[in-house]
Amino acid sequence: MALRGLHVNERNFLNRIDIRLILLILCLNVIGLFNLYSATHGPHSRDVESLFLQQIIWLLGGWTIFFIMTFLDYIWVNKIIWVIYLLNVGALVYTDLKGKVVLGGQRWIDLHFFRYQPSETMKLCLILILARILLNRNSTGRGMGLRELFFPLILIIVPFALTVKQPDLGTAMMLMFIGGTMLFFVKIRKSILAFIVVTGLVAMPIAWKYGFKDYQRNRVLTFLSPDQDPQGTGYNSIQSRIAVGSGKFFGKGFRMGTQSQLEFLPERHTDFIYSVLSEEWGFVGSIIVLFTFAFLFKICFEIGLQARDKYGALITIGVTAYIFWHMFVNVGMVIGLLPIVGVPLPLLSYGGSGMITTMAGMGLVSSIAYRRYLF
Amino acid sequence: MSEYISNPDEAREFQSRYKNLSIFIVVTLVIFVLRLAWLQVIQGSELRQFSEKNRIKQNKIAAPRGLILDRDGKALIENLPGFEVVISPQYIEDMKQLAEVVGPVLGLEPAKVIEKIQKNKRVNGPFALIRLKDNLSREEVFRLKRVRLDTPGLEIRESIVRHYPLGEDGAQLFGYVGEISKNEIAKLNEKYRSEIIFEQGDIVGKSGLEEYLERKIRGTDGVSYIQVDAHGRETVTEIPNIYGEKIKDLDSVHGNSAFLTIDRDIQEAAYKSFTNLNRIGALVAMKSNGEILAWLNAPSFDPNYFATDIPVRIWNKLTSDPFKPLRNKVIQDHFSPGSTFKPLVAVAALQDKVITDKTVLNAPGRFFFGGRWYHNHNKNGEGLITVYDALERSSNVFFYQLGIKLGIDKMYNYISLLGLGSRTQIEMTREAPGRLPSSEWKKSIRGEEWQPGENLSTAIGQGYVAATPLQMALAYNTIATEGKVVKPFLVKKVVDHDGKVLFERFPEVLRDVTLPQPNGYKIDVDTFRIVKEALRRVTNGTRGTAKNLKIPGVQMAGKTGTAQVMSFTADQIYAKCESRPIHMRHHGWFVAWAPWDKPEITVAVLAQHSCHGNPGAAPIARDVIEAYFKKYHPDIIAEALKKGDKHAVQIMHVPAEGD
Repeated sequence: MALRGLHVNERNFLNRIDIRLILLILCLNVIGLFNLYSATHGPHSRDVESLFLQQIIWLLGGWTIFFIMTFLDYIWVNKIIWVIYLLNVGALVYTDLKGKVVLGGQRWIDLHFFRYQPSETMKLCLILILARILLNRNSTGRGMGLRELFFPLILIIVPFALTVKQPDLGTAMMLMFIGGTMLFFVKIRKSILAFIVVTGLVAMPIAWKYGFKDYQRNRVLTFLSPDQDPQGTGYNSIQSRIAVGSGKFFGKGFRMGTQSQLEFLPERHTDFIYSVLSEEWGFVGSIIVLFTFAFLFKICFEIGLQARDKYGALITIGVTAYIFWHMFVNVGMVIGLLPIVGVPLPLLSYGGSGMITTMAGMGLVSSIAYRRYLF
Repeated sequence: MSEYISNPDEAREFQSRYKNLSIFIVVTLVIFVLRLAWLQVIQGSELRQFSEKNRIKQNKIAAPRGLILDRDGKALIENLPGFEVVISPQYIEDMKQLAEVVGPVLGLEPAKVIEKIQKNKRVNGPFALIRLKDNLSREEVFRLKRVRLDTPGLEIRESIVRHYPLGEDGAQLFGYVGEISKNEIAKLNEKYRSEIIFEQGDIVGKSGLEEYLERKIRGTDGVSYIQVDAHGRETVTEIPNIYGEKIKDLDSVHGNSAFLTIDRDIQEAAYKSFTNLNRIGALVAMKSNGEILAWLNAPSFDPNYFATDIPVRIWNKLTSDPFKPLRNKVIQDHFSPGSTFKPLVAVAALQDKVITDKTVLNAPGRFFFGGRWYHNHNKNGEGLITVYDALERSSNVFFYQLGIKLGIDKMYNYISLLGLGSRTQIEMTREAPGRLPSSEWKKSIRGEEWQPGENLSTAIGQGYVAATPLQMALAYNTIATEGKVVKPFLVKKVVDHDGKVLFERFPEVLRDVTLPQPNGYKIDVDTFRIVKEALRRVTNGTRGTAKNLKIPGVQMAGKTGTAQVMSFTADQIYAKCESRPIHMRHHGWFVAWAPWDKPEITVAVLAQHSCHGNPGAAPIARDVIEAYFKKYHPDIIAEALKKGDKHAVQIMHVPAEGD
């Protein structure tokens, strides 16, 4: 390769940009749109039909942000991240006080042209602020002790608590998982890891008794034995499993899924979008989507390894964790391996705030790839 | 920025951690894939059966639309029970067999049935119901019921057929219903956002009051849930049901009924008169307080055809008819008012003191102005006449002179008070605003100065002036009531199924033009009285243009008018009207009220291509007014007949000399 060894700035545009990353995201976009069209165009779903077009608009917005992020050096984020983080925490506080209540959750701020969900953008803010703080922590040796962990933990716990209060346990959990992954990546002392595991085990029953709301307890109980109350709390879980299973090997075909089209599946266009896919495209379609995600993670890791600096590597880990944990919880829930938690599947579920956040995150990764070392 | 690459230990640490994370991801994905394989490959057949055997079918129970009744409670639109045949496409096993069984029963080609099903699947998705035919005959129902069980997907349902007892009469007013189209779903859902959700298969009002009153008379659809097997047949399965038991059926709520101000007797009298004379055009009759009594357009269509599938042949005929049977000309089209505009000009001239009722002007057979001749329809002219004579005989030359004296802007300022040039805001969609020109209007629309010659044509109701029949009725009603501009309305009240009144409208005077109006103008009672007397002479004077039309015991006041459809040279105008092809003949107008001094009813009739206001339009107005008095004041007519008021009984149809 003639370009090998050249200075970063001397490589041309097409060689610098990571085209594989873009192709994989596009691939998920196309699958996502086909699937969303089916999910929103059943015989009785006039009310959600327009969401398909809205999603296309979000997607176009998402790609715009993606490319803006790609061409800006990600270092600039470092300079303003404190302001953004604090603004986002402010938005969360505002949401808790005055936000729009939809389906029992107070998660949105009504901006008239769309409903903004601050907890969604918080995920990205958290990644960026942790990357900045963890930059100065030493990754070698024994790892971070309590003193070094104190500040990062505060940064995680504040938005976590505000999101739990909405209540939106799913999103709060995502914040915890993403933050935890980044801390783990930088290295935590073994004694502290052990301490966390023990505390977790002790805190679980206490939280169960006092911290959880009834419906949250029910979800877990339902997960453990779904057939106890198939009419009520187990309904979603059972319907989703029937939908996935009835897709068999090749699926029922585009717009032919009875479970989704005839509205047995709840939240078809958001949390249970993967059920729609599994029902209509079967084992083959389900696996293809999982593999596409796997490729995406692989490429993200490659980019992280070649990143110009530690900051870039940390951001890449954060964004990858963001997508992975969403996929993990969402797909796990849909196929009956995890309790029902309202977490969307990135790039496939309908949702403006989520789409913009995901694309902004991928844009950062793309920016890191754009400025990586090539040897 | 610390460059971690420069720290080899850190780089090595990170590499091992990437490895750990990768392992975690791979393990997760392997578990997911195994789980998917378990559900979809190993348990797949079982779960597929589960999804097929246990389906809840949502059956929509369409709510009956509310009735539309006249002011006495007589039905104008009602519901009849019927049957329809629908197909649930997902249960079809053998489309060809279905088409071959169902087609002959319904009188459809099997290929047509298949085409219809496939088109519906394409447009509305694979699970949307298809209404093959509604309003089935008894025989069709019987024959379909026999094949139903062997034909999965086929279903016979009870339905409601909208029935219009008056048929063609007033069809454009009442409108019709039909199955919602794909475009309408989006449009109506936007319009009635968060009030009604429209779905494919819904029956909605497509025009007229059916459309306008949609929200009020629609009702709320119910839902029934039944458990069906893979063929769409109702079943009970032995597997404990996980959906059914707790879902409750939802009954439909009957739509509210609307009482109109329309009087069915007068409506029918108007229709009879219109059809007897075989006229094309529009008619509106209103009480002097604004309540519309009758409203019709001709030619017309029978909305009962529309309640079922409209045969393409009939639809094509309706849409290609040059006289536009689907159009509601009473408000949707505007026309030159012709001489019916003269009384409004007279009001302006008298009020502006350009003339008084004693002013005598010379009205010869033609008039020279601005380098050309303007003609009177009576070539001999009328000689020296007052405004009374001018209106009685409909002198053009007299009004040419008023036009010159007033100028367009004064005409505009006075006549706009009477409601011309603006919408009446009646409860109907797509109302035309009409057109009342002013010099400013011409400048802004055409970018040209107003020409003095245009004052002349405007003064006799030609040129730019255009009005809907309803606007003309309203303007004359204002003269009749000596200045009260009323709000015309059609819906008297809306009651729910238990008879509770949800909405009621009472007559309303929008403005009294004898008081100064926002534009600084007003019209005195005395002015109106002069014009009223003049219009009384039109039907009662010795030389009135409608002197042949009488009602025993009731004196009408009104004005004939002729509106040119296209321009002709002076000597062509009247000589050859009847001999021209029909679409080139003039429109005849007659606008009248009665009794002339204490008005109760105002009628505007437009008889298109009938050549003359009288006998083109005027006899119809007379018949409507007579029907009104026969119903509401039979004593007056009876008394007059007893007295042997010969003059009054005499009804002649003499062709009028002029207009």
